Amino acid sequence: MASTKCPKCAAPVTFDTGTKFVKCSYCESQIFIDRSGAGFYYAVPFSVAEADAIGLFKRWAAGPARAKDLDKHAQIAGIRKQYFPVYMFKRDVKGREEVLVEPAGSTTLPGLHKLRIPAGDIKIFDEGFDIGGAELVKPDIEMLSYMDSLPGKAKEQALVYFPIWRMDYVFDQKRFEVVIDASTGEIFSANFPARSSTAYMVVAAAGFVAFALEGLLALSSLAVAASLMALTVVGIFAASYYVARRL
Amino acid sequence: MTDVSVALNCPACGGAISVAEGVDTVVCSYCSSTLFIEGDRGVTTIAFRNRLSKQRAVDASRRWWSKGWKARDLKRAGKIVEVYPIYLPFWRATTRVAGWICGYEIRRHTDSKGRVHEQKVPKEVMVLRDYQFSEIAADPGDLGIRSLRNFSGETSFADFDMIPTFEATNSRDDAVAHAKQEAISRARSSAGIPRVTMERLHIFPRRLSMVYYPVWVVRYEYRERMYLTTVDGVTGMLLSGRAPGDPLFQSLAITAGSSVGGLLAALGIMLSTVRAEVAFGGILAGLAVLYLTYRFFRHGSEIIEGDFRHKPASMSQTVKEFQDIARTLQGDYR
Repeated sequence: MASTKCPKCAAPVTFDTGTKFVKCSYCESQIFIDRSGAGFYYAVPFSVAEADAIGLFKRWAAGPARAKDLDKHAQIAGIRKQYFPVYMFKRDVKGREEVLVEPAGSTTLPGLHKLRIPAGDIKIFDEGFDIGGAELVKPDIEMLSYMDSLPGKAKEQALVYFPIWRMDYVFDQKRFEVVIDASTGEIFSANFPARSSTAYMVVAAAGFVAFALEGLLALSSLAVAASLMALTVVGIFAASYYVARRL
Repeated sequence: MTDVSVALNCPACGGAISVAEGVDTVVCSYCSSTLFIEGDRGVTTIAFRNRLSKQRAVDASRRWWSKGWKARDLKRAGKIVEVYPIYLPFWRATTRVAGWICGYEIRRHTDSKGRVHEQKVPKEVMVLRDYQFSEIAADPGDLGIRSLRNFSGETSFADFDMIPTFEATNSRDDAVAHAKQEAISRARSSAGIPRVTMERLHIFPRRLSMVYYPVWVVRYEYRERMYLTTVDGVTGMLLSGRAPGDPLFQSLAITAGSSVGGLLAALGIMLSTVRAEVAFGGILAGLAVLYLTYRFFRHGSEIIEGDFRHKPASMSQTVKEFQDIARTLQGDYR
């Protein structure tokens, strides 16, 4: 909660992140919160604990695009709890509201192609906000350096700290990095050990061609074709089961 | 630093005025002047009341586990770790489309002598309808939710303070623009004119509101991996989720797909003595079946439901894609 003074009776008035209109609890007058001239500090709380973050990473690593058994063989080399800063600008550009997100730190996050503010319960970042032992990445680009070059008129500008887990892991003697959004659990990764589709394609193509040929063979000798088909069913099933489990 | 708080006074008499968020005109209660609100007037906000208990959210997720081709031991090995409700912000817009769409349809028919006749059938359709649109007002991250599926329910701010509320960070005018686009394309498809020659459509954005919708997040663990499902807090339906797949189902799918596909192709080739196109059609149908099952074979180790950014194909998704392709092919052929 942030606080300001009531312009009528000077009593303290508290308001939350998304509030536009508040009522003064003392004199009952309604107040508009004008954010156009001020810079706010916001933060999104962590909803993913360290153990959950590792669990989310393992789920991602077990996904079909990742190298087989990456979740079991990846060795986690380090995990850091961080608050990453971005600037959020709300502008009035010729009567249209535009939201722009710009980096506040010169470091970028791997796999995040476009800076975003992940959905979360955005809180006002003040002394009362518990960062939970996370490391605050210092913003080293000033908000003002963007302000002059942005289009339109200011409606609101804020520095938003969003929660991430930064994880390093080693697979096949190579080091990789992932970022886990600690609000919704999304995983970002620039490069990762990928799984080849070749074995899957070979099995599928082999089965298709074999059945097509056996189907044609059925014209001349039905018995031979039927027994070959039975064999192929068993063969394809065994091969595909092996591929799905191991490759 | 400029002051953040601005008092609201009637410019005519100086009396205090009270403005509800989202309205654009207000009448001063002292001097009865009608006042127009300029600048940032906010947006009408409503919140739906959560009607689900924790247990029902868990039950909905468990029911989803046992449906479809998910890991067979999921019900035994899956452990619910955390269940909590959140309020997600959505832009909800009503857009009216009014106008005319004119064009024609080509009908082909074969007469008794085997000749094909083409006939141009002119068509004109009047459009006058309101379209509902909704879009999540924040970055959905890995929640797998993009729009509202339910627009009805009890509205109340009663538990608004108890449930964590996700903040809106997307531009409302972007949402209005998306609503316009969607309304126009839905109006076009509802007119159902294959070849459009003239179109005059007017779009009126009628209402924009912010809807806070309760969603339950259910996190569960399966073999040290963490999965997530979300459940609609009003209807109790599962909105999105990820679950582990099963290699047995993957291999069964490709075995069935390659056999049926291969035999279809063979059948087509066999019947090519009757008509040449049949061979082509048979092989194509066979390959389509193969492709469908191949996608499941390749990506079926994780089963996904909902609107995710990187979504590998599920069976139903692929079926839908095929239907779309078939529909366009059909449309062209016709």
